[in-house]
Amino acid sequence: MESTTSNPTSTAAAELLSGVNAKVLLDSVDAFLFDCDGVIWKGDKLIDGIPETLEMLRSKGKKLVFVTNNSTKSRIQYANKFRTLGLSVSQDEIFSSSFAAAMYLKVNQFPPQKKVYVIGGEGIVQELQLAGFTALGGPEDGEKRAQWKSNCLFEHDKEVGAVVVGLDPDINYYKLQYGTLCIRENPGCLFIATNRDSVGHMTDLQEWPGAGCMVGAICASTEREPVVVGKPSTFMMEFLLQKFNLSTSRMCMVGDRLDTDILFGQNAGCKTLLVLSGVTTKSILDDPSNKIQPDYYTNKVSDILGLLGE
Amino acid sequence: MESTTPNPTSTAAAELLTGANAKLLLDSVDAFLFDCDGVIWKGDKLIDGIPETLEMLRSKGKKLVFVTNNSTKSRIQYANKFRTLGLSVSQDEIFSSSFAAAMYLKVNQFPPQKKVYVIGGEGIVQELQLAGFTALGGPEDVEKRAQWKSNCLFEHDKDVGAVVVGLDPDINYYKLQYGTLCIRENPGCLFIATNRDSVGHMTDLQEWPGAGCMVGAICGSTEREPVVVGKPSTFMMEFLLQKFNLSTSRMCMVGDRLDTDILFGQNAGCKTLLVLSGVTTRSILDDPSNKIQPDYYTNKVSDILGLLGE
Repeated sequence: MESTTSNPTSTAAAELLSGVNAKVLLDSVDAFLFDCDGVIWKGDKLIDGIPETLEMLRSKGKKLVFVTNNSTKSRIQYANKFRTLGLSVSQDEIFSSSFAAAMYLKVNQFPPQKKVYVIGGEGIVQELQLAGFTALGGPEDGEKRAQWKSNCLFEHDKEVGAVVVGLDPDINYYKLQYGTLCIRENPGCLFIATNRDSVGHMTDLQEWPGAGCMVGAICASTEREPVVVGKPSTFMMEFLLQKFNLSTSRMCMVGDRLDTDILFGQNAGCKTLLVLSGVTTKSILDDPSNKIQPDYYTNKVSDILGLLGE
Repeated sequence: MESTTPNPTSTAAAELLTGANAKLLLDSVDAFLFDCDGVIWKGDKLIDGIPETLEMLRSKGKKLVFVTNNSTKSRIQYANKFRTLGLSVSQDEIFSSSFAAAMYLKVNQFPPQKKVYVIGGEGIVQELQLAGFTALGGPEDVEKRAQWKSNCLFEHDKDVGAVVVGLDPDINYYKLQYGTLCIRENPGCLFIATNRDSVGHMTDLQEWPGAGCMVGAICGSTEREPVVVGKPSTFMMEFLLQKFNLSTSRMCMVGDRLDTDILFGQNAGCKTLLVLSGVTTRSILDDPSNKIQPDYYTNKVSDILGLLGE
């Protein structure tokens, strides 16, 4: 029987969650960290059994935290989304990659007189503003068009000291040129990626290109690699630990992506539970080319409730 | 004095073009292969001295060929551009990456009943159609918008057997999703890149993101690497050789990019001449991190004319 202690370098196969080990898991952790897309919801639809399962966990005194790489919303906007879906989650239980980007600039003492160019959504812009920074781009550049014309210079703000790239369904060549010029021509300009997920369940029916798509575009035009602030980077874990007086070994990361959620959990020393309700199937998990094995796997979050016979 | 024989693995520093070695170069080659952006023109402006230099080379019996990674035009459209700029160049002297993509499908016997989705311009669409293939996407998807809506499936044609990605100033999320779905879900779907240039001189005043940017986006969302048909791949060289009864050692590749033009020339066994009128500066050439040394370098193409005292 496999050990239930999480081991970041273990390649032991993941255990299917069962009535027995679900109880052991619950007794061994004080906090559950949940990814959102493909775990809690798909697009704007809650996955079956979520409200009851979260309520059960809270009633057992477990802390709940939501760690999402989807940067399109700020923490406040995510709290609103939870509320709209009938779940009571406060903004300080939410750690979005939009928040992570703003915090990265803050802890690294980004000068407030410098500006930040955003290739991404309102969520990033809001978090930057909440942190006291000046954000350019984002949704306001969604309708801008770039034109190749003789004797006509595409201008960019020389005061931009960082470009933040996240999920951007309004990506266009104007933004790609603006971000590229800032990174290539403004001395010391930072290149920050909220995350690099290749695809995600932005809607209930299918996957769509993730931030990894936009980040890949800028990596190629600038020939530079970004700092990644979202999963699997453990940058966000520092902020979680400041909130809870817990050891990471008393936390369980629940997610649907091996190379972000599960790797994040392993890197931070948490237990890890993969759910198959999102981007990862059993065959991907079992494929010999997959090197990331969570401690446990199950179909969906509400299995925890079902297996405990509650 | 450095040898004038090209050696693809040589790291001997490039020779500045002079009266003496320019004459040697001319006597040792029968054909000049020119890149276009940053070498012949920048945007829609001819670089100084081009018409006279090309005329001189033709008068000496040299064959002229134009090998461009810019896929926005077909060969016919490039012949028109040359004519508009006062240069007489026929379409079979032009090898564009748009033509390369169509030829790649042809020589690999891509079934004509399968379709090709294009993330790129009219040039790729035209060359595909000239080669007898059915092209979807391209300019007709420029104004399409993708929407994340519940219960609403983004459809894609299951008969798409190849996605061709090139320079696309009208890139949008609709095309990125379409191409991503084809590559991820249509069995055996090919992923072809016209080229991977990071930036280029699309206008006279500055650089803009190149096809590498769009290709990087699709690599990010599909987690796949493409077949590259443009420089530095020597795929196009086969077609050049079919036209001319020449050894590649009797050719000189003239370009402004080290990692495409010069590398292409070296890989094919040609002599190589770097011009500093485009994306590469002297300090980039001399930087210790640069591993690609052309045989010769000079400021611009018309130096050949000037140095020979013609």
